Amino acid sequence: MEYQKYGEDGVRIVFGDAIDLVINENVRRYYSYLKSLNLKEVVDIMPSFSTCIIHFDSEAISFEKFVFYLTERESQINAFDIREPVIHEIPVVYGGSAGPDMGFVVSYTKLSEDEIIDLHTSTLYNVYTIGFMPGFPYLGTLDKRLYVPRLETPRVKVPKGSVGLAQLQTGIYTYESPGGWQIIGKTGAKLFDHTTEPYCLMNMGDKVRFVRA
Amino acid sequence: MIEVIHPGWFSLIVDGGRYGYADYGVPSSAALDTFSYKMLNALLKNPSDAPAIEVIGNDFSLRIGTDMTCAITGAKVEAILSGELLQPWTSFRAQKGSILKVKSIFEGFRYYVGFSGTIGIEKIINSYSTNLECRFGGFKGRPLMKGDRFVLKEPREEKPDKIPVENIPDMKPPHVLRFLKGPEMKYFSPESLSRLFEKKASSWYNVSSKSNRTGIRLEGEPLVFKKDVEKSIISEGILPGTIQIPGDGLPIIMLHERTIGGYARLGVIIKADHDLLAHLKPKDAVMLEMVGPDL
Repeated sequence: MEYQKYGEDGVRIVFGDAIDLVINENVRRYYSYLKSLNLKEVVDIMPSFSTCIIHFDSEAISFEKFVFYLTERESQINAFDIREPVIHEIPVVYGGSAGPDMGFVVSYTKLSEDEIIDLHTSTLYNVYTIGFMPGFPYLGTLDKRLYVPRLETPRVKVPKGSVGLAQLQTGIYTYESPGGWQIIGKTGAKLFDHTTEPYCLMNMGDKVRFVRA
Repeated sequence: MIEVIHPGWFSLIVDGGRYGYADYGVPSSAALDTFSYKMLNALLKNPSDAPAIEVIGNDFSLRIGTDMTCAITGAKVEAILSGELLQPWTSFRAQKGSILKVKSIFEGFRYYVGFSGTIGIEKIINSYSTNLECRFGGFKGRPLMKGDRFVLKEPREEKPDKIPVENIPDMKPPHVLRFLKGPEMKYFSPESLSRLFEKKASSWYNVSSKSNRTGIRLEGEPLVFKKDVEKSIISEGILPGTIQIPGDGLPIIMLHERTIGGYARLGVIIKADHDLLAHLKPKDAVMLEMVGPDL
């Protein structure tokens, strides 16, 4: 674990340099602990695959003092009672107009549509991080046989609920947006609702299983 | 009641930002020029988190339905209130039935219009700011349009006030943006970085017309990646003002609409220059100047 300065009001904590469940769980543990402290100096926390970035209020505390404070508390992190991950089952309509890139994925992977769906629904995915748009879960790791590159030219509009593949990740668009993931299906599950708390269905570290709708 | 007669090129409701939910991917969508936003509310004697209108382009025009005090800060504009010329960065009384119109902009890009009272909209996730991509917050989650009407809650008339001219920031191009080293600066070839730091004509960039509220794109000499590095990173958190370099080598300065990014981060614009980012217009000349102890 290494603390780095990121701009004037950022701390970048590096836990590793890979997409890896153990590293990601360490990020999650740290993030959960820090969040539970509810520090007024913390503006935002951005945990992800292998790092955790803290946006702090540089008018309230200096980088050096803040890192000193964080370092002093490191020993308490392992004793912290971390929330049990929730398992979410997400129903998906695969292919057809719900999955406009299914044809490409079939030709790229040389698998049939059924084999692709079987592979996509047979893994229990980890929510490595949430971002890109509110509530969008970065899920991994995809079965290697489903590896596909991103679209060369991103789509201008990807509909809300679209389920996509990109390299060894899969994700769910929570809002209509431009995007470059290969879309293989669509879900009606509500992953983010800005009108009601808790706004976000999933938390980092939760598990997701896709099922045929 | 306030009615939008003309929304300018683009106008939307903002505040100081939607913080505390970045771990769920919620960006701050804050006013881009913080100082102008704060001074607007100070002129109006409003709470520091009152909603305001952020506008680009001229012809922005409102019909004022109640006696109140209004103010304009940010880009220096030529504005008139029922025929009378207004000074930039001042507050002024507006009578019921009067028309406020911004005729032209003579320095800067974004300006802020506010009223003594509270624009009658609901906070979404603790903020009035509009999240344009997800269409929530602000006025119905979208930019203002001709004919939109909103209520001004508890309108007040305050004594007209002004920000002294010497306190109004310079917004004229060319712009020099100072930055601190970013986590992936080592991804770039030494020749490419020294070219950036030479401060010759070739190290000036121009603001691309593809820039938007998510990021400012620069056109000019591309940064060159070292041969042995990946051009993208495992996606991770980003802060406002981060200079991302995608595969084509052309910088994108991220504003307040993303919490995570997958491009190499050359640097972070220093906070003292963040407000200036609001005033970068397409074609403006921009120089990136590295500062700090890591130089």
